[in-house]
Order: sequence, then C-alpha cells, then structure tokens
Amino acid sequence: MMNTAQERADSMLTPEAAALVETYFSRVHGALLVAAAGECEEAVDDLRTHVLEALAGSAGTSDDVTRILAELGTPEALAAQCADSSDELSSDDVPSHDERRTVLVGRVLGLPYDWRVPTASRVARRWWDPLNPQIVVARVFGIGWTVNYGALAVRLGLVRPDDEDVPFEQVPRRWLAAALVLPLVVTAGLIVLFALFQAGLPDQVATHYAPDGSADGFSSKGVALLLPAAVALFGVAMAAWTWVRKRPALPRVAAGALATMLAGVSIGIYGQSVAQAHGTPGLTILLSALAGAIVLPFLLLVILSRVGRAAEQRRDLKAASKKGSV
Amino acid sequence: MATDNDSRLSQFRKGVVELAIFALLHHGEAYGGEIVERLGSHPGLAISAGTVYPLLSRLKKAGLIDSAWRESPVGPPRKYYRLTASGDIELASMATAWDGVTDAMDELLGKGTS
Repeated sequence: MMNTAQERADSMLTPEAAALVETYFSRVHGALLVAAAGECEEAVDDLRTHVLEALAGSAGTSDDVTRILAELGTPEALAAQCADSSDELSSDDVPSHDERRTVLVGRVLGLPYDWRVPTASRVARRWWDPLNPQIVVARVFGIGWTVNYGALAVRLGLVRPDDEDVPFEQVPRRWLAAALVLPLVVTAGLIVLFALFQAGLPDQVATHYAPDGSADGFSSKGVALLLPAAVALFGVAMAAWTWVRKRPALPRVAAGALATMLAGVSIGIYGQSVAQAHGTPGLTILLSALAGAIVLPFLLLVILSRVGRAAEQRRDLKAASKKGSV
Repeated sequence: MATDNDSRLSQFRKGVVELAIFALLHHGEAYGGEIVERLGSHPGLAISAGTVYPLLSRLKKAGLIDSAWRESPVGPPRKYYRLTASGDIELASMATAWDGVTDAMDELLGKGTS
C-alpha cells in the first residue's frame, strides 16, 4: 500500500509519531467506509502523502504530528467533508439509481450525459475498470458512451478482474514513465510531420471529408496545423499535470492513454490534410491513424496492468518463499 | 415496474453475497475464479463475476479479507483470498443476524402463504 514517498517520510518519524499518523488515517478510512464514499479514498491517500511530506520538514516528533493533524480536524469530520464534496459516481452505481445525481449528470432520450468538468480520476475510472464487466460505459464528458478498456481486456482474456489490487499501483516507476513517454513520442511524430510538410502546403487545405473520401471542407493551412497541435498539446499537458501533482498511478496512466489517443487523432487529421494536398486519394491516412489512436492506448493500459500484476506476484511470491506459505 | 423490482432484488442479494463469500472463505482460501464458480453453482444467488470481483475489492479495502499471489498446483500463480481476523468476527455476527432474519422470515412467509 505504501509508495516510496511515504516510506521515506515514515522513516523520518519517531515510532510514536508514525503511529499517530497511522491511527488518524485509518479512522478517516473507517469513516469513509461508513459513509460509503469509497471514491474519496484517493483524495485521502493524496492528503496522507501531503501530511507526510510536510512532516519530513519537521523534527518528526509526536508534537509535530499532533499540530499538523489538528489543522485537518477530526478524522470523522474530514471524511464527512470529503463525502459531501464528492459528486463522483462509483463504478457499481447505475446512474439512474444514484441519489446524488445532479442536472449535470443524467439521461436524455436514453443517452447518458455528464457535463461535469472531466478529471483525470474520473477518466481513469471509466477507461480502466476491470472489475466492471460492462465494456460500454457512459462517457466521462459529453453525451453517449465510451469504452471501458479494462472490461475489454478481461473479455479478451488479457487480464483478470482482480489481477491488481489497485490498478497500476505496483507498476515500477520506470514502466509508469511509459504513460508519459508514449504520448510524447506520438506528439513528436506530429511535430516531425509539421516540420516536413507545413512549408510545402498550399494556403487552403482540406480539413473535412465526405464518406467517400473526397474533401468537402477547407481551412487555411495555419488552422490545419493549429487545431491538431492544440489537441495534442492539451493531452500532453494533462498527462504531465498528473505527474506534477503527484497523482496516483491510475490517473497518470489513464491521462497518458487519453493523451496518446488525442495525439494519434491529431496525426490523422493533419496527415490527411497533407495527403489530400499531395493528391493521395481516399482516407487511408486518417483511418489508419484513428485505428492507432484506439489501439495504442489499449496496449499501454494492458501492458502496464500486466507489469503491475507481475510486480504484485514478485512481492507476494518472494515473501512466501521467505516465510513459508501462509 | 419490472426494472424497479429487478433492482430491489439485486440490492437484496448484494448483502447476501457478502455473507456467502465470508462463508465460502471460512472453509479455506480460494482464488477469484474459484469463488465465482462455486457461488455461481447456486443459481438462487444469481451471482456473476461482475458482482463478486467488485465485492472482493471492497471487502479487501475494508480489511475483512486479504489476498496474496501464490503458486498454483496447475498453471500460473493465482491470487488467493482468505478471511482476516476481523473478517472472522464479521462472519460470526452476520451469521447470527442471518439466522434471526431467516427465522423471522420463515415465520412471516409461512403465515402469509398458508
């Protein structure tokens, strides 16, 4: 359960001080269970890391711990506050039975909608929820449905629902970095395309196509470059932000997967404009880039999940061979 | 409405599935697929993988069950679940409550139908 930051901070505390922190947060978790506010767990874990970081700058005595925890209030009050402010849907809550639903979340003409600002954790829970067997789930933002890649991977026999206790939590850091490197590489591919082709494009290029592949919408070449660039950079910025904010592994990986998808779509849009300008018929470029934009994030999620499972297995099997089986 | 009825039934089963998992693990540890299969062999419970796995995850977070990867006699390692000490206590109190509920319901339903 502990990440490295916590382990480092724990080692700097006196045993009494560490016990105080432990007691405080197990009471918060207990209160969250009672409030059935499981979606707060993540926020509380973040808070715990933050507290330990703050303590790392102190002498690490019981007095320091008491002073910092006093600022947070009682564990029960903290849990209640979190449960109130949370408007998340948990994966096993059917939206139509969710008492906390607001005008921002619901159904219109049978289509689910959700206009709350998408957060990395909400994207993460929809995209990778192997415990939920539903492959098609309500979108994180907008109207309609999206794919639960976790359920798809389970259905394809690539992972089991309970392979990882907490998705991606045990993935070693150097592997986790793939969630940031992959969208960066795809975005770099887009930049290479810009460098190679932008200067040679005519002033007006195709940006919209009829189903038969003929162009039926045109933009200036500046717009044809700016839109895909903005989309790809938004994704990369979001993925990077999860690292800056030291988010848990699941939001980091999901943001990386989403960024990879956005960068892939951008390559498709820009690449198709280039192909049209060079007189290449059909939508081959756009369609193959879109296929890549769907498959690459899936591969990222599946591979990292299997790396996480392998890490869990190494941890448990090593412990078992040391102590003898439980 | 049929859907209301379905959801009432599924709510009603949710609590029972928890007790069923405790009871199963009380007899010894088991891995996820095994739990799904053994509980699935009781059609009355209407249990599927989609019910069992989220519940296992929640019970583990609550510290009532624990899991660890272990070598399996056949094939790759498996994640085995077992009851923790607090899970044992929870099972005992739930089993007592269950007896009370079934006794009361037997009596109520018996009177209603006869």
